[in-house]
Amino acid sequence: MSLGLLFADELRGFYRSKVMLFMWVGLPAIAVLMSVWYTSTAEMPLTVITGLLVSTISGTLAAVMLVASIVSEREKRVYDLFLVRPVLRREILVSKFMAVYVCVSIAVAIALGLGLAIDFATSDVPLSAIVGPLRTSLVTCFATLAVTSAAGVLIGVGAPSIIAGVVLVIYGANQIGGVIAVVGALYLKSDPLTALLGAVLTAVLMLCAIVVFDRKQL
Amino acid sequence: MASDLAVSIKEVSKRYPGPTKRHPPVVAVDGLSLEMRAGEVFGFIGPNGAGKSTTIKMMVGLLAPDSGTASVGGHDVLAQREEAHRYLGYLPQQVRFQEWRTVDHALTTFGRLSGVPRGELPGRIAEVLRLLGIEDTRERRAVDLSGGTLQKVGMAQALLHRPSLLVLDEPMAGLDPQSRFAFKRIIKDLGRAGTSVFFSSHILSDVQDVADRFGIINRARLLWSGTYEDLKAHFRVTADYDVVLSKENVRWRELEALTGVKGIERLAEGRLLAHIDASQDVDAVAHALLAGLLERGCRVRSFTPASPDLEELYVRYVSTAGDGGGAR
Repeated sequence: MSLGLLFADELRGFYRSKVMLFMWVGLPAIAVLMSVWYTSTAEMPLTVITGLLVSTISGTLAAVMLVASIVSEREKRVYDLFLVRPVLRREILVSKFMAVYVCVSIAVAIALGLGLAIDFATSDVPLSAIVGPLRTSLVTCFATLAVTSAAGVLIGVGAPSIIAGVVLVIYGANQIGGVIAVVGALYLKSDPLTALLGAVLTAVLMLCAIVVFDRKQL
Repeated sequence: MASDLAVSIKEVSKRYPGPTKRHPPVVAVDGLSLEMRAGEVFGFIGPNGAGKSTTIKMMVGLLAPDSGTASVGGHDVLAQREEAHRYLGYLPQQVRFQEWRTVDHALTTFGRLSGVPRGELPGRIAEVLRLLGIEDTRERRAVDLSGGTLQKVGMAQALLHRPSLLVLDEPMAGLDPQSRFAFKRIIKDLGRAGTSVFFSSHILSDVQDVADRFGIINRARLLWSGTYEDLKAHFRVTADYDVVLSKENVRWRELEALTGVKGIERLAEGRLLAHIDASQDVDAVAHALLAGLLERGCRVRSFTPASPDLEELYVRYVSTAGDGGGAR
C-alpha cells in the first residue's frame, strides 16, 4: 500500500514542477522544430530523428530532476518523516523513479506522436516505412530513459551535492543511457533484446541505489 | 503485543566515522540502557552533542545501533518495524517537508501512511490543527511557514494517528513563549490521557514542568534516570530553607550550632539559606530554627522551603559525574 501511495504522491509533486512543464511543452516543440528543417526520408523518418533527440534530452532532464530532488530532500532530512512510518527505504526510491519515468514517458510519447503526425501529414514516406523504425525508436527511447533515470536515482543517493550530482549525470548517467542506443543498434538489432537490456540495467542500477540508501542510513 | 514499557533500550552504542580516515570514530552513544513505562512523560536532557538525537534516532528506527537493541511498546524497532512505527509518532528536531507540499497535503500523506482511514482523515487533520492553533495554515505551502509554525505542523503529523508513544526531539526549541506554553500543555494533556511521551530538551525548566521522570545524558552515556525527587534526595537537598529577614541580627550565626542544622549561608543582605540535615526531623528543626531567629531579634519576613530547580541539580550532577559520579 505504501508504494502506491508514495507513487501517487510523487507523481503529484513532479507533474506540476517547472522542469516537467518544460518537458510537457519543450519535447513536443522539438518535434515541431525538427519538421521545419528536416525532411523525412524512408531510411530516416522525422519520427525516428525526433525519438533519438528526445530520448537524449529527456533522459538527461529526468536524471537531473531525480538527482536534485533526492539530494535536496536527503540533506533536509525530509525522508525521516516517511521512515518513521511503515514505509521501506526502497519504496521511497522506487516511487520517485516511477513517478519521474511516467511523467517523462508521457512527454516523450506526446513528442513522438507529434513527430509521427507531422511525418504522416507532410512527407511522402509511406506509413509502413515509419512503423518499424518508430517501434525501434520507442523501445530505445523508453529503455534509455529508464536506464538514465535509474542512474539518476543512484547518483542522487550517493552524490555529496546537487552540483556534483548534475556533473555525474552529464558524464556518467548519459553515457550509461547511451549504451542502450549503441548496443541496441549495433549489436542486438532486436527490439525485445534492447528492451530486456534496458530492464536489466535499470534493475541493477536501482538495486545499487537501494543498497547504498540502506547502508548509508540516509 | 502489549507491553508495560513504552521504551526499552538495552546497551545501545553508535559511532560515527571521524571527519577523515586519520581521525578516530566519534562515539555518539556508548552502551546506553534506558526504560520508560507506558503512560509516562519522560524528559531526556543533556548538553549539545551529548547523544540525545542519536539515541532518539535509534529509538525510532532511523539509525541502526552498532550494538544493542531498542524497542517501543514491546516491538523491536528494526526487526518489527511496522508494528513499532504504528505505535509511535515522531517529531524531529528540524521539521522539513518537500517544497511543493501544502500543510493539508503533507498531513494527508503522512496520515494515510500511518494507517488513518481515508474518510476519517480530513476531520482528524482539522482536529489536530485546531489543537495546535494553526487551522489557518491548512492550505498554505509548508515552506512558506515560519520556523515555529512549521514545528507545530511537525507536531501535527506526529499526533495524527493517535500514537501510543510520542517521541519529540527538542520540541520546544525555537518556539515563542506562548507556543512553548501551548506545547507543554499539550504534552501534559497527552500524558494525562495515557499517551507516553519521550522528549529531549536542554530547556530544563520545561522538563521540570512536564516530565514525570527524566534522564541525563552526557558524553554519550546516560548518567542518571529517575524523578526530580530522586535527584533531590541524591543530593540531600530536600531540607533547605530560604529565609528573608526585614531586620538582620548577626546572632543568627549561633543557630549554625543547632542540632540538625548543617549550615547557614548568607546569600545577601537579609537573605539566608539554611541547610537542614535531611536525615533529621526536618519539621522540628525548621521550627526550632525559626524560633531561634525570632528569639535572637531577627525580624522574619518569609521562611520557605527552598528546592533547587532542575537546572541547578543538573549542573551539580553533570559536574560531579565527571569526577566519577558514574551512571545510575
